[in-house]
Amino acid sequence: MDNIVKITGSKSGIILRLDPEADWDSIVKDVAEKFKSSAQFWGDAKKAIAFQGRELDEKQQDEILATIQDNCELQIVCVLDENPEREAAFAKALQQEKSGSASAVAEKTAANMLQNDNGTGFFFKGNLRSGQVLDVETSIIILGDVNNGAKVISKGNVIILGSLKGNVFAGSAGNVDAFVIALDMKPVQIRIADTIARSPDESPRRSKTKETRIAFWEDGNIYIEPLDKDVMSDIRLS
Amino acid sequence: MGEVIVITSGKGGVGKTTTTANVGTGLAMMGKKVVLIDTDIGLRNLDVIMGLENRIVYNLVDVVENNCRIKQALIKDKRYPNLYLLPSAQTKDKTAVTPEQMKKLADELKEEFDYILMDCPAGIEQGFKNAIAGADRALVVTTPEVSAVRDADRIIGLLEANEIGQTHLIVNRLRVDMVKSGDMMSSDDVVDILAVDLIGVVPDDEHIVISANNGEPLVGSDCMAGQAYMNICKRIIGEQVDFTDFDAKKGLFQKLAAILKK
Repeated sequence: MDNIVKITGSKSGIILRLDPEADWDSIVKDVAEKFKSSAQFWGDAKKAIAFQGRELDEKQQDEILATIQDNCELQIVCVLDENPEREAAFAKALQQEKSGSASAVAEKTAANMLQNDNGTGFFFKGNLRSGQVLDVETSIIILGDVNNGAKVISKGNVIILGSLKGNVFAGSAGNVDAFVIALDMKPVQIRIADTIARSPDESPRRSKTKETRIAFWEDGNIYIEPLDKDVMSDIRLS
Repeated sequence: MGEVIVITSGKGGVGKTTTTANVGTGLAMMGKKVVLIDTDIGLRNLDVIMGLENRIVYNLVDVVENNCRIKQALIKDKRYPNLYLLPSAQTKDKTAVTPEQMKKLADELKEEFDYILMDCPAGIEQGFKNAIAGADRALVVTTPEVSAVRDADRIIGLLEANEIGQTHLIVNRLRVDMVKSGDMMSSDDVVDILAVDLIGVVPDDEHIVISANNGEPLVGSDCMAGQAYMNICKRIIGEQVDFTDFDAKKGLFQKLAAILKK
């Protein structure tokens, strides 16, 4: 299964979400695979780590940490105790989702988290290829291309110093001020908050010219325009 | 009550997806209500061939995992309002769905659609098992090459073992000139080896490449492949259509060319 282990990067470190249902061996295997394939991304950064989704005893924690260190250069400097405030918020949101209704409290918590993270971001170097998904809590700057079939999901803004030929979801927690910039803007779909824009149906043999463009949300529509001074002055970093 | 048809081949690259797109579109042109399901999870292509890639929001895995309703994931075709596509997921793999889930899905869609076409992935592993679960009949696509024919033979054996009702054969990418010079198996040779009923022969045609790049199936158009696919559609709904002699057409064309040259 693909979702046994989900890695989320935040500015403070890494959150590892482990499937509570899956058996332990497949979790360890998936952790090894995920970190191996993203080794290049992490580099030899020093990070803190937090676990979510299931309770780990000390032995299991050690096993996960050893697996991470075996598969990439990442240095785990400390294991964060579950943040009780966030834990409570997550638990509440999860419960609400199970019962089938999103509560105002959960939304508010999400909005708070969004505010904290929107102004910050980090870098990703490399090309995202078909089937790869980059899911981050903050804004993201990609040094490389986002190919057809790849997807970037960010709670903040997405800036691509390369070609955007795949899908982008900016402001994934509902921030309509989020924007997407690409040096070569040829996306299949762009989603900002709850609005989805798709590429036109004309012949896919699109123009060869490259132009830096920005995609932004306004009054329920997504607009894609050349990145000039006027447009740039309208950008709001909330 | 609709009919579930799986399009399969064993070997990759012989034209399963192209066949699915063209047969599905052809059936829709005849007024049938058709849904195409891309079961190639992780390597989706049918949406590109249909030119519907930019409309994908939900996919097959979302439906199976109940993240959305079937209606939300079905994409209506650009040209035919009675043609729908259920795209595959690109970020998952074949293990994301089970044959039981696929059968349940097929049974639900049968209520509403005349034809449900399953585009099967290459290989005989889980993806294949998912695609054939719930199928009432099968179209086996092969090219006139020994490797493709051998894989088709294996597939036909597996289909028989799984008790899929009717199995029909499509010989794809036939080159009449090479058959004539004895460098390629003819469709009769392939049928002799595989011993299943032929439902269509599609000649090798450069228009197929163009139509795939443009995301518009060419079934029914004036080219040879377009006519061949239309004939397959007619045979699927039970009409009797004679097999076209591509050589005759070519002969006429050559005659014309010869006259023009003079």
